[in-house]
Amino acid sequence: MRIAAGQSLYEKLNILSDAAKYDVACTSSGTDRRGSGQGIGNCIAPGICHSFSADGRCISLLKILFTNECVFDCKYCINRASNDVERAAFTPDEVCTLTMEFYRRNYIEGLFLSSGVLRNPAYTMELLTATLYKLRTEHHFEGYIHVKVIPGAPQELVSRIGFLADRVSINLELPTAESLRLLAPHKTRRRILSPMRQVQTLRSENKQELVQYRSAPRFVPAGQSTQMIIGATPENDYQILSVAESLYQKFELKRVFYSAFVQVTEDPLLPALPGGPPLLREHRLYQADWLLRFYQFQADELLSEQHPNFNVFLDPKCDWALSHLEQFPVEVGSADYRTLLRVPGIGPRSAQRIVRARRMGRLDYETLRKMGVVLKRAVYFITCNGRQMYPLRMDEDFILRNLLGSGDHGRPAETVTYRQLSLFDDLQPERVLQAL
Amino acid sequence: MVTVFECEDTLDGIFTAVYDAWASRLGHSAVRLQVRGADTMQLFAVYRSVVADGSKAERVARTIQNRMGGETFEKICQAAMAKDADKADAIYRVLVLGLSRGVSERDAKQVIWQLQDPNVCHVFELSRKVGHEAHRYMGFVRFRELENGVLFSEISSEHHVLSLIGDHFANRFPQENFLIWNRGCGDCLVHRADGVWFIVLDPPSELGKAMQLSEKEEEMQRLWKGFCQSISIRERENRALQRQMLPYRFQKWMTEGLVS
Ligand code: SF4
Repeated sequence: MRIAAGQSLYEKLNILSDAAKYDVACTSSGTDRRGSGQGIGNCIAPGICHSFSADGRCISLLKILFTNECVFDCKYCINRASNDVERAAFTPDEVCTLTMEFYRRNYIEGLFLSSGVLRNPAYTMELLTATLYKLRTEHHFEGYIHVKVIPGAPQELVSRIGFLADRVSINLELPTAESLRLLAPHKTRRRILSPMRQVQTLRSENKQELVQYRSAPRFVPAGQSTQMIIGATPENDYQILSVAESLYQKFELKRVFYSAFVQVTEDPLLPALPGGPPLLREHRLYQADWLLRFYQFQADELLSEQHPNFNVFLDPKCDWALSHLEQFPVEVGSADYRTLLRVPGIGPRSAQRIVRARRMGRLDYETLRKMGVVLKRAVYFITCNGRQMYPLRMDEDFILRNLLGSGDHGRPAETVTYRQLSLFDDLQPERVLQAL
Repeated sequence: MVTVFECEDTLDGIFTAVYDAWASRLGHSAVRLQVRGADTMQLFAVYRSVVADGSKAERVARTIQNRMGGETFEKICQAAMAKDADKADAIYRVLVLGLSRGVSERDAKQVIWQLQDPNVCHVFELSRKVGHEAHRYMGFVRFRELENGVLFSEISSEHHVLSLIGDHFANRFPQENFLIWNRGCGDCLVHRADGVWFIVLDPPSELGKAMQLSEKEEEMQRLWKGFCQSISIRERENRALQRQMLPYRFQKWMTEGLVS
């Protein structure tokens, strides 16, 4: 293990942020908390992006590892025990100083603290807990904290840290138990799912308690999230999306993140990806995840055993609509909210506007456009006052050709949409406006 | 002939103009509202200069809140903060829709959703744009610490966002003295550690210039700039996306100044 003597704070930050960056979550969303006036900080539910790094990802939290030393040897991870990289470790005070000084200057929304496994999971969790405790009680920090739970950490530590953090996450890492066994020999599915279940249970107990005592301390108020690595193992999109769906349904997760596999270590068990990380695939999964969470879709409406992967050229919603043309066109003057949501080019915001505006009078295409409906996609699927915008054939090939020709599919511009979908998280502009 | 009520570009100014125009009994179609400085002089119009009056504005504000609801009131206030030549008149037209005699209480609260109406649509749209910019500045404001401990920030926004972000920052940093100088609109938010905050119009142009940075300020800036670089994944580099999410007009005031 390489640890340079006398590393400066600058060097440590450099090493420990570099080692933390493969965790994609950087959102600060999920909870509203006014500052008490006695300390520093507050939280707003949509979260806030403070900067954007050269890869176009949002920087919201000070995302660091406590240490990149690790006794585990997960094959895909740059910090694995057998990898020869420079190691470093913060002290709790150093983490507090960085968080407080960065926060005061409005660089960040809070802290995202994760860690390699130092000695053993319990010891590591103790260190993380001690750090958060200091931050909350000595420095009176009331901003956002996301902390990682180390698989295998004892239950009492998980329940303690949940009262200090706003969000916790336990990474699923890989979609199936077999893949996990293969690439992360020190982790098991059970050691990942059981703390997840524990957090879920404690959260629902805490909610009960809060009904009775409004000032009771809050346990993980922003909920829990997880992450899966995409493309390191052979699972198809259908398997991945089904796993995500059951995490939302059975574990009440707030977010599932997908991280395109970046090859940072050499190992015969890892695939070679000459084309770089599978970003387009990751993007399609985020789009589909969005459909599960905000559009009332189910995984097996979008994919199946026969059709297990997303279309590279079409976003999952257009793809779905094209194979269900019998359900279109829908009349925007009367279709219910759920049906409107299924129209390509109509999102939750424009659907809500349509529903409210049509009570006040008739709609026309110009109004729809101003409400944010993307007509170049929606025209094939809607009528307004019984009429299509112009005569169009309800013919799959015709529509497909036109959708692809419209220049917003499968091109680099897609990554932009991806950002908006995945990193703005639960940013609902309506909520932002209300918050102001 | 149309009578143009010309008012100062503040919430008080616009609401006073609403009050005066309505009370003039000239008829809604014979009046127009306009903020001063909007470059749209009309030849065949009579101009009336409105003097902002806190108590008239207050009455208008209360009427909107009571009759049209809090949601509508917020949207109208946000729209009033926009940089837009037609906002005052659009707001007036929306109020005519909601406050005219014979409009039921229920309908008055729904007027803001009557997006078929071009004025409602305009106010709605402005409110959205202003709210969006204000939200971005909650993240993009950068403070630097001066030797006397004051946190100092410069921004340059398109719309008048300071009044919309003041409460957020005051609540976040209750024990700090801080300033946010908005060069774009020429106003400055001042927060004192005792909890009071206010907006100064036309602050002196040498503001903060004589002040030295605090001792540790440079080191903190260096740490932050280093972090912004090491957190990026090389294999995913996408400068175009970065520029799109964080346009130059924001970057140039930010500590990490990402422009390469
Ligand atoms: S436990 Fe595995 S994933 Fe986590 S730091 Fe150690 S090697 Fe990496």
